[in-house]
Amino acid sequence: MSDFDIKNIAKLASINLSAEEQKKLTKDLSIILEHVQALSSLELDTNIEDVFIHPLEKELKLVEDIEIDSLTHKDALSNAPESKDGKFVVPPSME
Amino acid sequence: MELKNLSIRQLNNLFVEKKAKPSELYSDIFDTSASSESLLHAHLALFEEKNIEIAKNSDKRFENGESTGLLDGIPIAIKDNINIKGELTTCSSKMLSNYRSPYNATVIEKLDNENVLYTGKTNLDEFAMGSSTENSAFGLTKNPWNTDYVPGGSSGGSAASVSARSSIGALGSDTGGSIRQPAAFCGLVGFKPTYGTVSRYGLIAFASSLDQIGPITKNVDDARIIYNAISGHDALDATSIDNNQINIPFDKSAKIGVIKELMEDGISDESRNEVSKVLESLKNQGYQIKEVSLPLIKLSISIYYLIAPAECSANLARFDGVRYGLRVEGKTSYEMMQNTRAEGFGDEVKRRILLGTYALSAGYYDEYYGKALRARKKMIDEFSNIFNDVDYLISPTTPTAAFKAGEKTSNPLEMYMSDLCTIPANLAGLPAISIPTGLSKENLPLGVQLMSKPLTDLSLLNFSEVIEKEVDFDTFPKGLEK
Repeated sequence: MSDFDIKNIAKLASINLSAEEQKKLTKDLSIILEHVQALSSLELDTNIEDVFIHPLEKELKLVEDIEIDSLTHKDALSNAPESKDGKFVVPPSME
Repeated sequence: MELKNLSIRQLNNLFVEKKAKPSELYSDIFDTSASSESLLHAHLALFEEKNIEIAKNSDKRFENGESTGLLDGIPIAIKDNINIKGELTTCSSKMLSNYRSPYNATVIEKLDNENVLYTGKTNLDEFAMGSSTENSAFGLTKNPWNTDYVPGGSSGGSAASVSARSSIGALGSDTGGSIRQPAAFCGLVGFKPTYGTVSRYGLIAFASSLDQIGPITKNVDDARIIYNAISGHDALDATSIDNNQINIPFDKSAKIGVIKELMEDGISDESRNEVSKVLESLKNQGYQIKEVSLPLIKLSISIYYLIAPAECSANLARFDGVRYGLRVEGKTSYEMMQNTRAEGFGDEVKRRILLGTYALSAGYYDEYYGKALRARKKMIDEFSNIFNDVDYLISPTTPTAAFKAGEKTSNPLEMYMSDLCTIPANLAGLPAISIPTGLSKENLPLGVQLMSKPLTDLSLLNFSEVIEKEVDFDTFPKGLEK
């Protein structure tokens, strides 16, 4: 796991980690990644194209294209940390 | 006998015959939780006050001979990662401590149609990630059989509640064993249905290709009644399938396979003995039993701990402080998101998000996630082949009985290993059930797991009843007063 860069992974996952957390998580993840290495020796002839997300169905059911009730605007905003004029409010993207 | 100890069918008979009322059961249940909650902390929220009127409506329906069926007036506990409109759905996370659901999960709509009474929302490992309910941001739940021990997880609150009789049955969710393992640890029946037969709409997603809602109950018939009520195709869940059940034999013509790999190293003698005990009884009844081998099962923890974290890292990306949940301020949107996720998620959730992010990141996708997906497909093929030979597969549910609180928290891999027997059914989408069969030396429950091919849920339940009848396990926790 020499190339395991916890800072980069945390950045990709958008989670700030303290120095202590970085140390602990590097250790934990190294142990887990070492364990999953068991898969590397496995001979697999399955094409990635033959693998699907649903464990049982190759083709999922399509639904009828009909309008149904969904969340109201008010309900959708009801849990927002901050909202204004019917919109979510967030800090600026750049300083 | 107190109402809370009865099965759903027995209760319904009493209501129909006007020998008892749903409101009396409701009082019985809440009298119990008044004492058990301080000891066990099974529920995060109790709905006592708001449901008294609903219980009285059930009374009236039975009085007038207008009941809506077996579940009318039955108190059911709901795991707190399933949305009930107007109630908090916290997933036992600081991230969602104030999140009030604006909609119902499909399973709740279905239970509402049956006039179920909800006891409240039950504790879980944060976002259903864990095997002991110790990862809850709101405190741990204790095992009713011995409060020094964990109830299992992640549906530990649901299991503890049914075990302590502060609900008649409960809904849990099972991604790698989160219904079956706590059911086994608390001496109950835990049923994970065939993937896709119960809608996941309104279940807060952890790993979408593995998550499935199911019941935790005192007996197999109760699990069947709840499963019948909550299953069926739902257009709101794209992975939902038609529940066209296939019948396989459950009489003496049924063939049973013992999974060799789950009777070897890593499984305690006590857990193995429970399987041997059940096999002996089945053999005496004339069932055909053979040993079968599924070599890839040994790699199921490795496959699971790449696929589940990968899906979790994508699913939990939605918790960014913008639309719902916690927000921790920052100068920019990105800083706000990073601060929010640092503060809102607990250690185990962070660990899995980071592991999944790594497994999906550029340069590692094929080596980790892609490889795990291919191995999963091969494992599904192994199961399909085995089911040409046998009808049911049997194994222990857990490698050991419940462990002590704090015993495995410092070593994540050791904790993950406690799901060794249950993970394969999630990877292959199979129906699987844990049935309580006996007690360990420490007087803690042990369970046996049965699996069958997809869409044979009802046959699996029928066959489970054969074992249940033979074993005759008393589900009342010996640690609690009767």
